[in-house]
Amino acid sequence: MAVVRHRSLQFVLWVIVASIAALTSSVSAQDQCRACHEALGDAPSTLFKNDIHAGMGLSCADCHGGNPKTEDMEAAMNKAAGYIGVPKGDGIVKACARCHSSAPIMVKKFNSLLPLNQAELLSTSVHGTLSTTGKEAIAACTNCHGAHGILKKVDPASSVNALNLPKTCAKCHSDARYMRTYSPALPIDQYDKYRMSVHGKRNISGDSKAAECANCHGSHGILSAKDVRSSVYPTNIPATCGVCHSDAQYMRGYGIPSDQLEKFTRSVHGVALLQKKDLGAPACNKCHGNHGATPPGVESISKVCGTCHALNADLFSKSPHKKAFDQKNLPECETCHGNHDIIVATNKLLGVTQDAVCSRCHGESQNPKGYAAAKGMRALIDTLESQEQAAIALVAEAEQKGMEISEAKFKLRDAHQARLESRTMVHSFNEERFKEVVDKGLGVTAVVREEATAALDEYIYRRLGLGLATLAITILVVSLYLYIRKIERRQATGAK
Amino acid sequence: MTPLWKRLYDWVDERVELGGLVEYMGKKYVPVHSHSVWYYFGGVSLFLFIIQVTTGILLLLYYKSGEELAFESVQFITSKVRFGWLIRSVHSWAANLFILAAFIHMFSVYFTRAYRKPREITWITGMLMFFLALFFGFSGYLLPWNELAFFATKVGTDIAGVIPVVGKSVMIFLRGGEDVTGATLSRMFGFHIAILPGLFTVCLGIHLLLVQRQGMSEPEESGHDVKTMPFFPNFLLRDLLLWLIVLNVVAILAVLFPWELGQKADAFAPAPAGIKPEWYFLFMFQTLKYIPAKILFIDGEVLGILVFSAAGLLWTLVPFWDRETKRGRRARFLTYVGIVAVVFIISLTIVGWLS
Repeated sequence: MAVVRHRSLQFVLWVIVASIAALTSSVSAQDQCRACHEALGDAPSTLFKNDIHAGMGLSCADCHGGNPKTEDMEAAMNKAAGYIGVPKGDGIVKACARCHSSAPIMVKKFNSLLPLNQAELLSTSVHGTLSTTGKEAIAACTNCHGAHGILKKVDPASSVNALNLPKTCAKCHSDARYMRTYSPALPIDQYDKYRMSVHGKRNISGDSKAAECANCHGSHGILSAKDVRSSVYPTNIPATCGVCHSDAQYMRGYGIPSDQLEKFTRSVHGVALLQKKDLGAPACNKCHGNHGATPPGVESISKVCGTCHALNADLFSKSPHKKAFDQKNLPECETCHGNHDIIVATNKLLGVTQDAVCSRCHGESQNPKGYAAAKGMRALIDTLESQEQAAIALVAEAEQKGMEISEAKFKLRDAHQARLESRTMVHSFNEERFKEVVDKGLGVTAVVREEATAALDEYIYRRLGLGLATLAITILVVSLYLYIRKIERRQATGAK
Repeated sequence: MTPLWKRLYDWVDERVELGGLVEYMGKKYVPVHSHSVWYYFGGVSLFLFIIQVTTGILLLLYYKSGEELAFESVQFITSKVRFGWLIRSVHSWAANLFILAAFIHMFSVYFTRAYRKPREITWITGMLMFFLALFFGFSGYLLPWNELAFFATKVGTDIAGVIPVVGKSVMIFLRGGEDVTGATLSRMFGFHIAILPGLFTVCLGIHLLLVQRQGMSEPEESGHDVKTMPFFPNFLLRDLLLWLIVLNVVAILAVLFPWELGQKADAFAPAPAGIKPEWYFLFMFQTLKYIPAKILFIDGEVLGILVFSAAGLLWTLVPFWDRETKRGRRARFLTYVGIVAVVFIISLTIVGWLS
């Protein structure tokens, strides 16, 4: 009886153990790697439990190779069985690309909509260039996505989720020691600036629509900002910013217009940058900042414009307008020139005509002194321009007539320079100083006109001289001809 | 009362015995026939050469050689020096007309077989002067140190560098180094105002002496009853009349189409589009462009240069291998060769000009 009872107990125990074994994992029956590693409680297997790949049914061996079906560690981790261990360097990208670049696996097997060119883009990106070790690319997939705890991008815990990405990028890009080995010239304060920017503040507050690193730089195919194909290359920046800022639907709720790109495109800066490909012209980031993007306020606008237009800004800051603008809280440059849609500043802006901006404040009755000054300055600059045009026309005429007029032509540069100077000097809003510059230009144009007129007179003189010389030569030729005839007639008579 | 000129003549005659020379000149006759007009082109060439020498000396008073000075000095001549523009323009136009007149003179001598015995040396010295005239043009073209001249010289010396065996040395000799630089300018200036005039004067002296000594050649078909006119004063006065007309043509061209100066040469600037040599080199330049890159195993350009060199040599030595003329027969083959050469040169020059 005791024996029977003992055998019964044995059977029960066996059933229990078998059941536990069967329950502890259906996994272990298929993936002995996870069975053992989870039993060990190591970090990779713990993280992998929540990994998107685990959810898709992928095993350790799909990345690490080997035989996951055998309990024998030696056999499972045998190189002959395809075990590669921990992929390193470019091996990581290769391991990921085995599935992520394969349409049959990604599309057919997993029904994925992820692009299949991520590995290719990474290899041609700035991160795909050779690292200082000389053996591998700078970054691999795991640097951003992690290795065993990879989550969907939309998962708030994912390292590449919009709200986490700035920190993920900053892991390397804010590390001075690390960055020095790859790109010493690249600043490492982007993350700090970003946190202070409008975009960064919104991102930190949980607004995943606010721009983060990938929105401007891209993700897998990031190129150097000096690369003409880069989304942050100067001529591409307006379009990159415009992806969000020109989308009225996307920008709804932020309380700012969405026509900046349209305005910028037709502005003097936009034409220079986008049509003439002048890299000296500002893109959005030159005024707003890039990582620390924030709209320049009333107090800083002249400083922002003054970065390039230094003389104008300096003259303005010392002018009587500075105080007046500050008192009325008017944005300095923007009040007269606008912001995104700044057009070429012509003489028309100055004066008291309908197109002029001065008369907006300096009305004839309420501010006659300013009105008269604006009117006088406009008259001066118009005179200089018309005199310069007259000089140019005379030089062109003399040149077209074949006269050597290079010296006068060279002086035209001084006249042009004086006109440019006068347009700058407008910002002093000092009629006397303005007149000095204009007078300098008028002096040069007078000299040029005089020289060009002398050349044209010389042109007529030369033709007159040629006419007289031709007449004299013709008379000589005819006389000589008659003389030859005369002596030949005489010779003929003599011969007879 | 004896006229002043007569007294002057007597004074000189008393010392150097001019009488013999005047008597010789008085007995000198020029044949008159349907091809007599071609005789005048030798005189026209001489007159244009005299203009070149005169205007060249005047330009020398202000011209400064050197990378930093040449362009500016020519600019100064054309804009500041009284009549400097005229002298420079006349020098440039007369240079081109001189080469044109030399071309015409050479072909007229060729077609009338005036090179035949006993005038072989006259022909050889004439051909030497023709080649010197081309080199005069080439060397003088660079002197203003402007953009077109700089690149044309670069192309021209590059072509010289293609000549097998000696090409590289010739190119370095012409440039005064590997590249066209200020050294090339100094060298071309030296050629233009010293070496070439010296050589040319020697050839011209021999050429004129032989023309005077041997007289004008008569066409082969003229026979013995050829009409003549006295060289002095008839032919000389006609020459003078033509020279006056040529002078007027040069003046008209110089005033109405003043020679442009262009932009100063910049070795770092890209070559201007459609760079071409002067018109008298254009037919060769255009031909080289048409020759395929490789003909059998020979480089096309090399072959072209060799063919032109051989043709030039054969042309120069024509008095020695023209057996038909030597035997008193009409060398029709040579006439056809000459016609082909003229048509070839004119058509390729026009094509080169238009392309």
